[in-house]
Amino acid sequence: MIVFEFLINAISLGSLYALIALGLVIIYGILKMVNFAYGELIMIGGYLLYLVGLNTNIPWLIVAVIAVIGAMVVSYFTELVAFRRVRVKSLTALLITTFAVSTLLQNGALLVISPRAKAVALPQIFSTSISIFGVGTPVRNILTIVISISMLIGLTILFRYTILGIALRAAADDFQMTRMLGVPANLVISSAFVISGAIAGVVSLFWVGRTASVTPTIGQGPLLIAFVATVIGGMRSLVGAVVGGFVYGVIFSFIGVLLPQVLLDYREAFMFLIVILILLWRPEGLVKVKYAEERVG
Amino acid sequence: MLRVEHLRVRYGAITALHDISLSVEEGELVALIGVNGAGKTTIISTIAGIVKAVNGSIIFRGQSLIGKSPEDILRLGIAVVPERRHIFPSLTVEENMRLGAFSRHNRSEYRRDLDEIFGLFPVLKERFHQIGGTLSGGEQQQLAIARSLMAHPELIMLDEPSLGLAPSLVDQIFSLIVTLQSRGTTILLVEQNVERTLEIANRLYLVNTGRIEMEGSPEQLKSQAAIKDVYLGEGKSGGGKP
Amino acid sequence: MKRHRLEAWLSHHSTVIILAVPLLVIAAITDLLAGSLLIRLATAMFVSMIIVIGMQVFMGNSGILAWVHVGFMGIGAYIASVCSMTPQMKAIAIPQVYPFLLNIHLPFWPSILVGSAVATVVAAAISYPLMRLSDAAAAITSFALLIIIHAVLVHWDRVTNGPRTLFGIEEYTTLWISVVCAILVLIVAYFFKESSLGLRLRASREDYHAASAMGINITQVRYFSFLISAAIAGFGGGLFAHYITSFTPDAFYLIETFNILAMLVVGGPLSISGAVIGTVLVTVAREGVRAIENTINLNHLLPFEVIGLTEVFLATILILSLILRPQGIMGSRELRWKPKKNMDETNKAK
Repeated sequence: MIVFEFLINAISLGSLYALIALGLVIIYGILKMVNFAYGELIMIGGYLLYLVGLNTNIPWLIVAVIAVIGAMVVSYFTELVAFRRVRVKSLTALLITTFAVSTLLQNGALLVISPRAKAVALPQIFSTSISIFGVGTPVRNILTIVISISMLIGLTILFRYTILGIALRAAADDFQMTRMLGVPANLVISSAFVISGAIAGVVSLFWVGRTASVTPTIGQGPLLIAFVATVIGGMRSLVGAVVGGFVYGVIFSFIGVLLPQVLLDYREAFMFLIVILILLWRPEGLVKVKYAEERVG
Repeated sequence: MLRVEHLRVRYGAITALHDISLSVEEGELVALIGVNGAGKTTIISTIAGIVKAVNGSIIFRGQSLIGKSPEDILRLGIAVVPERRHIFPSLTVEENMRLGAFSRHNRSEYRRDLDEIFGLFPVLKERFHQIGGTLSGGEQQQLAIARSLMAHPELIMLDEPSLGLAPSLVDQIFSLIVTLQSRGTTILLVEQNVERTLEIANRLYLVNTGRIEMEGSPEQLKSQAAIKDVYLGEGKSGGGKP
Repeated sequence: MKRHRLEAWLSHHSTVIILAVPLLVIAAITDLLAGSLLIRLATAMFVSMIIVIGMQVFMGNSGILAWVHVGFMGIGAYIASVCSMTPQMKAIAIPQVYPFLLNIHLPFWPSILVGSAVATVVAAAISYPLMRLSDAAAAITSFALLIIIHAVLVHWDRVTNGPRTLFGIEEYTTLWISVVCAILVLIVAYFFKESSLGLRLRASREDYHAASAMGINITQVRYFSFLISAAIAGFGGGLFAHYITSFTPDAFYLIETFNILAMLVVGGPLSISGAVIGTVLVTVAREGVRAIENTINLNHLLPFEVIGLTEVFLATILILSLILRPQGIMGSRELRWKPKKNMDETNKAK
């Protein structure tokens, strides 16, 4: 039955990682840019949980919604204010800009709040355990799985059946042609950033939930995870990112249990080595997509 | 309807268009012909708002198109079917079509438009739920044109629609273009298949290395020796140099 | 005629002098007039300049941003330190150091060169495939490489003492050593840029396909330039280690990458003059704001501590620079001496 508990852990981590990856790839698929500031959106969510959660009496669920909306708003504005103007110049300039925004947000949190970790209000339910089939497991894990899968389903519906979703997928295929059909470029891009922010917001609830605290650098971990997951699964497809994230999370859990202690420290380096090898062998990722890359002009 | 004057376009240090002036009247089928690299696609891209002109003017129904974005230009009534089709390979035919109708605000028209399109392109109805990337070349070309029609454009610019298609399909496409014109759509056609183009166009412009070398009706152009020489191989020098 | 040719040659290559002389002047003034704090800051600035120029060599000429650059700086720093530290010191600072490393004890300059060499070898081993990747994939792979190098530095504690501070390095890098090395690197960068290899690389930056069609083997050209860039980074890393005398792997990771990027982008990635000017300007601005930050904190001028103000300021400057002037201050021009025409010529023109 330890196996069962471990399985729930692995699936929980896998779903969370899948979600993390999706948030990053939504932007990459359309704009061919890696948003280095993505991790900081998760940080924003965490800090809102701290600021609003610990200093007011608002029920946690509302605080969580505020955190998610906060991440969406920040994501939208980083695009509007910084990325949009640099977007037309060059991809390299854009990447550096996202990096600079990431530094700005991190140090902004440091400056405005504190370099020290801050405790975050979490609902009571996060720390309780329940018993399934006689096995104890934190409720948090179950919630992670349920919420992640719900979000993935919700996003699938968005992408498949709404005109916005179709426009986003079309933009990922061929951004210029999408514009030639009358779809406003800025609408597509802003939507992608808002959706990415929403995902980051939800992720922050569970990411922060693992340590019950938030620091300015808390976004770095998820960013690297999204990185690895996206490369494994394929930077060209949303499905690929989700699969990649899930696989990464599960493998990570497995390695955590199986490897001898000595090598455990190298777990991260190991994963990144796999990243490099995959990039060199199959730059498009493991999930097969047939069409060549193009860049937004 | 569309008036282009003294258009000048540069790609970096290279001047792609030197001094292009042309016009398209309502209801006409105007064609741009010329060899590869002459600048025909550049002209289309500039009108469509994808490429920025250094100099010159583009007026459509009294409005200047210079500086406008591709999406604005579509909304003004000009649709583009680019070279090599550019359908969305990972989207289904249905999704491609829905996107084509993006600029239309009246949802109820969608079904009616779709039925009309199916009348012109029956094969698309069959393949309605198929993924775009799995369609054949000819079907993709039809999809590209059909998709643009969903936006009810007044002027449609077609860039090499017959490229890479089997002869029977080429017939189909050309008769389709004629049908479109008869329904009232103005057409600006870029083609390398000069023979067929001379049959259907009202007027043609011969483009060569970024300049308009000749313009006129099909009869006028046919009688010019250059055309005969180069494109139809009837002259004394046979198929030779431009 | 001869005078013209000489003038033309001098004008063409005057960049090196125009850049080198002010640097020497800064060093001299600082040495003579300033206190030890400013001397240290100036030394740090010249060391950073070496890293920035190293990045410029690859990025300016190829148009590709090598996120991994600072990782090579780290490799150079650690290897040079291990070489130059005395065995006694090594035994204390790196408790589990490998025996064969323990007994290595090289003088300063050989240590620096070994550090640079190792960085170059690592670059040679890992980066050839990188050269063929497209924009986005190259950026991601390069970044992933930086993360890997960092992870290795953090975990290979028998060489690096792991995430803990490595201390006990002798302070060999003086103000004058750093400025002279910066000028040497500047000269190398300049002659690389003007060399056939540099020209070919710049052609590939301007127009990939045209250059390829001209027969330039772009992958190869990029690869060699990348190695030179890594060698400079390793060299600078060694100098850095012997200036700061103690550091952790985090000194060669995201924060340093950000600093180097800020200096290069503000000055202008396409020119060496840009790299130099950017380094000076950003260092001055950064230390100025940091001084303000410290004054506020130490004197409790505000009811709370301001930490991170410097970085927020720098990040804002970088973002504004990218929005308003992405080509940096210098753009693609180098500072040049343009000799005035002599009287005969101006008379003829009339």
